Amino acid sequence: MSPAGCSHVNGYKVENWKQNLRVIYQCFVWSGTAETRRRKAKSCICHMCGAHLNRLHSCLYCVFFGCFTKKHIHEHAKSKRHNLAIDLLYGGIYCFVCQDYIYDKDMEQIAKEEQRKAWKFAVPNLLTYTTWEPTKRELELLRHNPKRRKITTNCTIGLRGLINLGNTCFMNCIVQALTHTPLLRDFFLSDRHKCEMQSNSCLVCEMSQLFQEFYSGHRSPHIPFRLLHLVWTHARHLAGYEQQDAHEFLIAALDVLHRHWDDNGKKANNPNHCNCIIDQIFTGGLQSDVTCQVCHGVSTTIDPFWDISLDLPGSSTPFWPLSPGGDGSTVNGESHMTGPTTLTDCLRRFTRPEHLGSSAKIKCGGCHSYQESTKQLTMKKLPIVACFHLKRFEHSAKLRRKITTYVSFPLELDMTPFMASSKESRMNGQYQQTVDILNNDNKYSLFAVVNHQGTLESGHYTSFIRQHKDQWFKCDDAIITKASIKDVLDSEGYLLFYHKQFLEYE
Amino acid sequence: MSKDSQMRAAINQKLIEMGERERLKELLRAKLVECGWKDQLKAHCKDVIREKGLEHVTVEDLVTEVTPKGRALVPDSVKKELLQRIRAFLA
Repeated sequence: MSPAGCSHVNGYKVENWKQNLRVIYQCFVWSGTAETRRRKAKSCICHMCGAHLNRLHSCLYCVFFGCFTKKHIHEHAKSKRHNLAIDLLYGGIYCFVCQDYIYDKDMEQIAKEEQRKAWKFAVPNLLTYTTWEPTKRELELLRHNPKRRKITTNCTIGLRGLINLGNTCFMNCIVQALTHTPLLRDFFLSDRHKCEMQSNSCLVCEMSQLFQEFYSGHRSPHIPFRLLHLVWTHARHLAGYEQQDAHEFLIAALDVLHRHWDDNGKKANNPNHCNCIIDQIFTGGLQSDVTCQVCHGVSTTIDPFWDISLDLPGSSTPFWPLSPGGDGSTVNGESHMTGPTTLTDCLRRFTRPEHLGSSAKIKCGGCHSYQESTKQLTMKKLPIVACFHLKRFEHSAKLRRKITTYVSFPLELDMTPFMASSKESRMNGQYQQTVDILNNDNKYSLFAVVNHQGTLESGHYTSFIRQHKDQWFKCDDAIITKASIKDVLDSEGYLLFYHKQFLEYE
Repeated sequence: MSKDSQMRAAINQKLIEMGERERLKELLRAKLVECGWKDQLKAHCKDVIREKGLEHVTVEDLVTEVTPKGRALVPDSVKKELLQRIRAFLA
């Protein structure tokens, strides 16, 4: 079996052979259009026995189809001295003299092109898996750049400090979280962003550049002045040298990245159906059900979200009890519950049914009048990366303060109880399986935590990020230090980043 | 041709015409990768090649050696799912 093809094809490579071969691929191997499919269905049967199975082959020299298994094509090849045939299932070229499939470079090229063409028609939106082969240019690049990086369990590639440019720790901690989001990192390191913006002010390009800096292997801290400048340009409300809110920066950054994604206006028509990497990773769907208390009709809306903002105990709005008129007597908004508040408590409160009160009657479509109602939020669709924002900064009319209540958050989180589908099965009387080990859809792992130390007026942001599954590092602007899981879980927590554990194919 | 093979040919024709055959092939491909079948067979192929020697082995050798094992290793769940899809298509 020679990778260079066999010499017997030379007899075939005369005149218009390339076009003829293409026609055979298009009509009988990879039929793309409805017409070729019909023709294939009708004519692809063995000329000797009429069967359509048995590894049908077509003679390359004349119009003859024959079974391979029953040797019908072999008989044809012998009697007519036509020594080449093509496998109609997989497109391989068989040489009867060599008695094996041969791989001729020119023919392989044609086969690949025709297959790709047919796929565009037949199964749109489905990316077929093709093995990667380097192009000439890529081989050249690999030869000219012989340095290779090996990822071992203890290597610190991807970790880099960020210089504080004047109260820019709010930006630095978000950059640390984003550069350690695995899917985002994979996207940018695979060079998937092809910029269509004319000017130099594309934030996505800058993000790409940031990833290059982080994974360059340089250990000195990076100075993100270009990023800061772009942020000031595109998110004016964050400009200036005062301390800003890290959460606001996260939302603004995601927004600008999402906007810059395709500046040619392709998504101007439908901004909610963007297919950019930001939407693919961060966008979830929040379902809001408003139930009329009179006719019990439910009005449902689903809104996209990039983060979930959770109220905390200790704020002006009472946290406990979690359900209206529920258990646990309340004193100053706190309850007798033992143990610290958990992230799950906050999520349960977020998804609890809420009486909207007589001053906030909703117009009910069923009753055709204003009625009292309850509203409940649940997760319709979970994003791949879920960001939880603990509302520690209170900016009410009365006061501005920071809520420092400790909230314990887990390393692994199961979002199943907060899903819209779980609520439906509870309402239908189906008991929720307490531990559904087989359902992996809603399991999340913590990978980044942003913390705020200090007060509302003067404070400092730091972050913990996860590397290599169980190694955590603390990022304090330019200083990166190893941290233990305990350090992470004991920290106050302001922004919590969770990543889906199992990724499904679409 | 027997009645049975006539029917098979007719079904096959319809599947090809509607493009369903290609879709089923892709579905099957994905399922067989997911359940590890592809990797199992790949390993088996490597064994056969090692046995026969890289320079002498032909595609025919591989097909003869690997086909029975390949057929046996397809999980029942995959067979069921494909069968359901075909039934739904013909209905």
